[in-house]
Amino acid sequence: MKLTLVLLISGMLHVSASTYAQNINLSVKEVSLKKVFKELRQQSGYNFLYNSKMLNETVPVSLSVKNMPINEVLDKCFNNQPVTYLIVDNTVIVKRKTTVSASAAQQITISGTVNDVKGDPIPGVNVKLKGTQQGTATDLQGNYKLNAPSGDGTLVFSFIGFETKEVAINNNTHINVTLKQQSAALTEIVVTALGVRRSEKSLTYSTQQVDGDELTRVKSDNLMNALNGKVAGLSISPSASGVGGSVKVILRGNRSANGNNQPLYVIDGVPITNGSNANMQPTGTFGGSPDGGDGISNLNPEDIANISVLKGAAAAALYGSQAQNGVILITTKKGRAGKAQISYSSTFAVDHVAYEPQFQNSYGQTKSGAIDSWGAGISGSQDNLKNFFQNGTNWTNAVNLSAGSEVAQTYFSYANTHAKGVEPGNVLDRNNFNLRETAKFFDNKLTVDANVNYINQKINNSPSFGLYLNPLTGLYLFPRGLDINTYKNNYLFDTQTGFARQNWFTNDNLQQNPWWIINRDPNFGTRNRVLLNGSVRYDVASWLSIQVRGNVDRTNDNYEQDRYSGTNSLFNSNGNGFLNLSDQTVEQKYGDLIANFTVPMHSPFKINGLIGGSITDNITRGLSLNGNLSTPDFFTPGNVIASLGGTTSNTTSNTVGIAPNHSQLQALFGNANFSYKDWLYLTVTGRNDWSSNLAFTPNVSYFYPSVGLSAILNQALNLPKVINYAKVRGTYAEVGNTIPPYLTSVQNTQNAAGQLVFNTAAAFRTLKPERTKSIELGTDLRFLDNRLNFSFTYYKTNTRDQYFPVQPITASLFSTGYVNAGNVQNSGIEFILGYEVVRGKDFTWNTAINGAKNTNKIIDVDSKDGINSFVLTGNGNNNYESHLAVGGSYGDIYGYSLTRDSQGRIVLNGSGTAANPYTPQANKTFSLLGNPNPKFQLGWSNSFDYKNFSLSFLIDGKFGGQVLSMTQAILDQNGVSKVTGDARNAGGVKVNGVDKSGNAVSTVNAQAWYQTIGGRDGITDQYIYSATVIRLREAAIGYTMPISNSAFKSVKVSITGRNLVYFHKKAPFDPELTMSTGNGLSGVDVFNQPATRNVGLNLNVSF
Amino acid sequence: MALALIILGVSSCTKNFEKYNTNPNALSVNQTIAILPTAFGPLEQAIYSNYQVAQNLSADAYSGYMMSPDPFRGGINNLNYALVDGWNQAGFNDQYNLVMGPVSKIAATGARTKAPDLWAVALLIRVEAMDRVTDRFGPIPYSKAGTAITSIPYDDQKTVYQQFFNQIDTAASNLQAYIAANPGKTPLAGSDLIFNGDYTKWLKFANSLRLRLAMRIVKADAATAQQQAEKAMSAVGGLLTTPADDAAIAQSGGRSNDLWVVTDPYDDNRMGASFQSYLTGYNDPRLPVYCKPATDALFAGQYIGIRIGSNILSRPDYDTYASLNTATTFTQTAPQLIMTAAEMWFLKAEAALRGWAGAGDAQTNYETGINTSMQQWGVSAGSYISNAVSKPVAYTDPKNNVNNSPALSSITIKWDPLAGNEQKLERIITQKWLAIFPDGQEAWADYRRTGYPKLFTVVNNNSNNTINTDIQIRRLPFPTSEYNNNGAAVKNALTLLGGADNGGTRLWWDVNKANF
Repeated sequence: MKLTLVLLISGMLHVSASTYAQNINLSVKEVSLKKVFKELRQQSGYNFLYNSKMLNETVPVSLSVKNMPINEVLDKCFNNQPVTYLIVDNTVIVKRKTTVSASAAQQITISGTVNDVKGDPIPGVNVKLKGTQQGTATDLQGNYKLNAPSGDGTLVFSFIGFETKEVAINNNTHINVTLKQQSAALTEIVVTALGVRRSEKSLTYSTQQVDGDELTRVKSDNLMNALNGKVAGLSISPSASGVGGSVKVILRGNRSANGNNQPLYVIDGVPITNGSNANMQPTGTFGGSPDGGDGISNLNPEDIANISVLKGAAAAALYGSQAQNGVILITTKKGRAGKAQISYSSTFAVDHVAYEPQFQNSYGQTKSGAIDSWGAGISGSQDNLKNFFQNGTNWTNAVNLSAGSEVAQTYFSYANTHAKGVEPGNVLDRNNFNLRETAKFFDNKLTVDANVNYINQKINNSPSFGLYLNPLTGLYLFPRGLDINTYKNNYLFDTQTGFARQNWFTNDNLQQNPWWIINRDPNFGTRNRVLLNGSVRYDVASWLSIQVRGNVDRTNDNYEQDRYSGTNSLFNSNGNGFLNLSDQTVEQKYGDLIANFTVPMHSPFKINGLIGGSITDNITRGLSLNGNLSTPDFFTPGNVIASLGGTTSNTTSNTVGIAPNHSQLQALFGNANFSYKDWLYLTVTGRNDWSSNLAFTPNVSYFYPSVGLSAILNQALNLPKVINYAKVRGTYAEVGNTIPPYLTSVQNTQNAAGQLVFNTAAAFRTLKPERTKSIELGTDLRFLDNRLNFSFTYYKTNTRDQYFPVQPITASLFSTGYVNAGNVQNSGIEFILGYEVVRGKDFTWNTAINGAKNTNKIIDVDSKDGINSFVLTGNGNNNYESHLAVGGSYGDIYGYSLTRDSQGRIVLNGSGTAANPYTPQANKTFSLLGNPNPKFQLGWSNSFDYKNFSLSFLIDGKFGGQVLSMTQAILDQNGVSKVTGDARNAGGVKVNGVDKSGNAVSTVNAQAWYQTIGGRDGITDQYIYSATVIRLREAAIGYTMPISNSAFKSVKVSITGRNLVYFHKKAPFDPELTMSTGNGLSGVDVFNQPATRNVGLNLNVSF
Repeated sequence: MALALIILGVSSCTKNFEKYNTNPNALSVNQTIAILPTAFGPLEQAIYSNYQVAQNLSADAYSGYMMSPDPFRGGINNLNYALVDGWNQAGFNDQYNLVMGPVSKIAATGARTKAPDLWAVALLIRVEAMDRVTDRFGPIPYSKAGTAITSIPYDDQKTVYQQFFNQIDTAASNLQAYIAANPGKTPLAGSDLIFNGDYTKWLKFANSLRLRLAMRIVKADAATAQQQAEKAMSAVGGLLTTPADDAAIAQSGGRSNDLWVVTDPYDDNRMGASFQSYLTGYNDPRLPVYCKPATDALFAGQYIGIRIGSNILSRPDYDTYASLNTATTFTQTAPQLIMTAAEMWFLKAEAALRGWAGAGDAQTNYETGINTSMQQWGVSAGSYISNAVSKPVAYTDPKNNVNNSPALSSITIKWDPLAGNEQKLERIITQKWLAIFPDGQEAWADYRRTGYPKLFTVVNNNSNNTINTDIQIRRLPFPTSEYNNNGAAVKNALTLLGGADNGGTRLWWDVNKANF
């Protein structure tokens, strides 16, 4: 910050540098101050900052000194001048002298600190008493002191690149001020890789920054949801997993077939982990395993100052392997010097399901005891869902304290979240503690920054996905016309034992009593996470600083699922109940050493950069245990029936260590930035990684470079006045990625009976790490007094040499092999258009549109081995499969389609009689039916401020793409859905069909039709829907209470809403929701919990 | 300076990478070697991997022993010659994945030289397992298996058999040497589910396997057949001689007898009509040991099986027919036979018929075979071997007379020294068939080689004319997974097969010519 500012000022004023000397010898007669400065600069090495105009009013100086300290020389020079000076480091800032009033006795002295919004002090800010010539400037710590004739004037704070602020003195003697950077100012400082702050104009790639207020304006239980729709090129899919669930975050498209596609999360320059708990994401449509929340959802949004999204490989190149999918850089708040400040915020929000399946009310259960509703007519049916779904609530209370002296600052925060999901029993409790200390020592040369975060989180009854152990299957499929209420509180028979204990009308592994699942198949997830960060920076010289940083991120997850006796036998095979326990600790340790340098040179060229090294070490440990119980419903590890070894499925239980993981990544990296006359910038980076996961292969090391160029055209060319800023930029970057651990050396295992089990996987021996190559071109423009800004980026990335597990031919004797292959291409554009529509005193209106289009293409899978397709999600005998296939794109949905003749008519079996009705046929091979990824995304945000009121809203749209509703298919098969009722009322389903003899058929019996096309293995293409969805994602109305002379500094209340209105949605569910945040299962709804609509009330108070 | 330190740090730290990248939950090389014997149990169990689809719904039915009452796949399946790729694939893939693969891993531990005894047993299990594969399909990838990931050529069946003999040579000589040097030592005791580590029995098994394979190829390569058979009959260690020598895989580790599984819990297996025709016709004392009578109200208590290829519309129609005796014979824990002493006596009877050295007298061998089998199943032979009257009986399906058939053979039990070789062979193979039950795989091979015993044909043939109903099925087609993944090699294999890839093409040893 400091360095940047000095450079900035030097751009407009004048600067020179040489070595520093202590004492001065000088003899001059009647020379201008300017000449004296020149002489002093040569002797002392001090820089002089001044405005030439100001010097016009000065008088010539005569002086003769020997071996005199510079400040004394300066005192002499400035005697009787209308200007005075201030020494900041090795720079002498010349400023106008404050007029000294005659009536000094009546004066008051006002002091204070000027900070920017991030809490960093701003040196050199002009502080003026309005309407007078009286003024001063802030020192390096941002402090100022000013005399005023009375306590009723107004202070004016101004500084280039920041919005000028006026503050009424109101007899205060201590006035701290925060200056906001001009929204589109040239001086925008952005946080870049490794936490390095750079001026935006020197960046050669695109980033987008979101401020903390944006994240907390309309809160969500996972803070990443607050970025949805706000960042061009960022695609966010919340998991349909109730409160505390994970989100899937994809920047510029999916690229890795088998690896991670999510970005790296970095807090204050240091990477953290983002794993979900030991209970992994579901991998198939049967589901069954709940989501335990990801790492990023644990953070307290109130602690975040801002988030910077580094989208491309170039931006992330310095983070290496882990960052090939982009980086989410989080800068947290720290304490500020000055009076202690306490803020408190409280949010209470109510959630309710945003949509429900549509049911028919005209036909009842097929026959008594049947699971479907193809029976006789009934008159009306009740709403069984209202007996189950509840209003979710989220109550979050957060308090933070900021205080400190010039030397040391403290920030402490505590947040408590208590949330209830829309499914009964789904509860989240989270406590976040955060303590941060920052301090400077030795003339501010040594900066120490340490941070302790402790997070404790409990999630009960995280809803299951898919067909298994999901209360929604039983709830939705419940025969129409019957009253589900009889099963609500009487979900168990006290008198029964074993499987008979559950009170449900049928024994079916796809559906159980919903309240049985809630109460008798509960799950509990507990997370304890400690995140320790520390950093020490020493400014060795004005051109060199050295920084050492480290963190430990340790997450312990404990997961338990208790299946009581009475649970369906598929999940409880001996009838005594089943226990599923896991305890996993993931620990990441990171350390780096970085030298930042600015080459001291006196020329239009400037060079700065860094070199450094880092080590990242990840270890996962844990135990899991699952199995049938000996004593019924006694859920303790010792009661799990011991394993029987052997090779067959008759093994009754399974006790295993959690798959361990030890990966270490070591890196050396460097970055150099060259600039010419502050308008042309060249950035070069290089990084070399050494990955322990490549041990046993010939080469554990891989190098990748990036290069970028940007030009600020308005500084180089004579552009029309209307253009305030015009930048063009381009980069080329490569990022390598390693493979998972333990693949390079094949080790055998043993089974529970102690028998040797040979590992017949082929060793990954001579293959190469994955590599993404990307190019990016873009421009950033600002017009009309910076009120209109536009940014545009084109990119193309190709990810090659991916690691693929392949199924080798049988006679190879390998069960699995690995190859390096593939070429997944993502190309697209992103744009941001912002306009300050009204910039008034009382009223402002800002609007912004961001958009992105990504095209994903699978150019190659593994053609050299004849493999052109890779299965992301297997079908498991259901009708959904996801492939990565040449010519297709990532996440393609494959399924069965209707058989049609050459004229497009549906080919029908049967004769159309009651005994042998017409039924459609499926092409029983999987074919490509769609892709769930949006073709285009658009977000439109608006904020209005009128005096104390504020209003903001965000509308966003995801356009294109297709999704599959297996839910609808099963509801249709069971005859409970509205369409099946409507079809029966209409006498059948209207089709353009043809029977075996070639006769045209226009109507097919509804039951025959839906029982054929519906169901989990039915005809998929009948359940493909457009994924286009346009919604009012966020809205907030706020009011800041005008408060004077009270204990409160500010009080703000707001009403917020999230996911309020679907302007357009054709699918029977929210296509944005995902069943898994992994690579598979995208675009399929299998009894996912519906999306919710959320309305909340916020209170923010600061003291 | 800092950079230099970092570089030093990095170069010294990567030393630990191999340690970091070693899975602590998996075994080290030394630990693998230490517990190598424990791998043999799963290896042996793998011979009958996926039993239902790999053997029961093909060979067990094609041998006339058994038939399923379950109308799998709408009643259109293997049992009426509509060959189901997914089923037959298991009979191919599993032996590669679960036997060939692990045996190659045993070789990789250095066992060939460091533990030649273990290597001998591994080779014998491999030959036993892979013989079942080649006898289903014909040419298979064998000599080149494990040499590549993407394309592996097939060997013709003659080459495969030649390698089998070579590997039996290695196994037998390793075992002879080990037994001589370490009398009474049993390193595999506790792990070996077949002989509990008794190497003298493994040596008998090696010789017996040689004899079985030799006889198999008699029509294709008579010289080698005779040479290998004579070698087997004179080999050190001898053949399986009494029921105490019988090779059967004991149940362990929660595994259940496969016949019990398919018959009882799956309820998918019943007595075959051909088996019924001979057993009831001969009033065979083994009948109640092998089977249990029907439970159908119409014919309860009778031994009425199901004819192969019967048109079965729904399971309850044939569920109640005679089944296997899972109560006392094929119980959940009963070991699963892979080779018996009785089989050896019948092989020697046939060898004697062919005049091979060391075979002894045909009649003696034949009668000893029958008696050994009776002894094996714990029944008294009584006057069985002197019964010159009883003959197989006609089959009558009480529920569907379309399935009825007169008896196909009039062969009697009692040895007739004056009969011609062809009749003698029919008698030997028919009794062998009754003795080696329930090994449908071996019985189907004998039927294809000799045409005996005479078996009822399929009632319905859904093979699209690729299989002649009277000639019956000769093999299974290669799995489509081979066409997808090993396409060039499998196309080449069709040349080695010498015919179309369907169930009607004869294997190399299945030569369409007279037995003598």
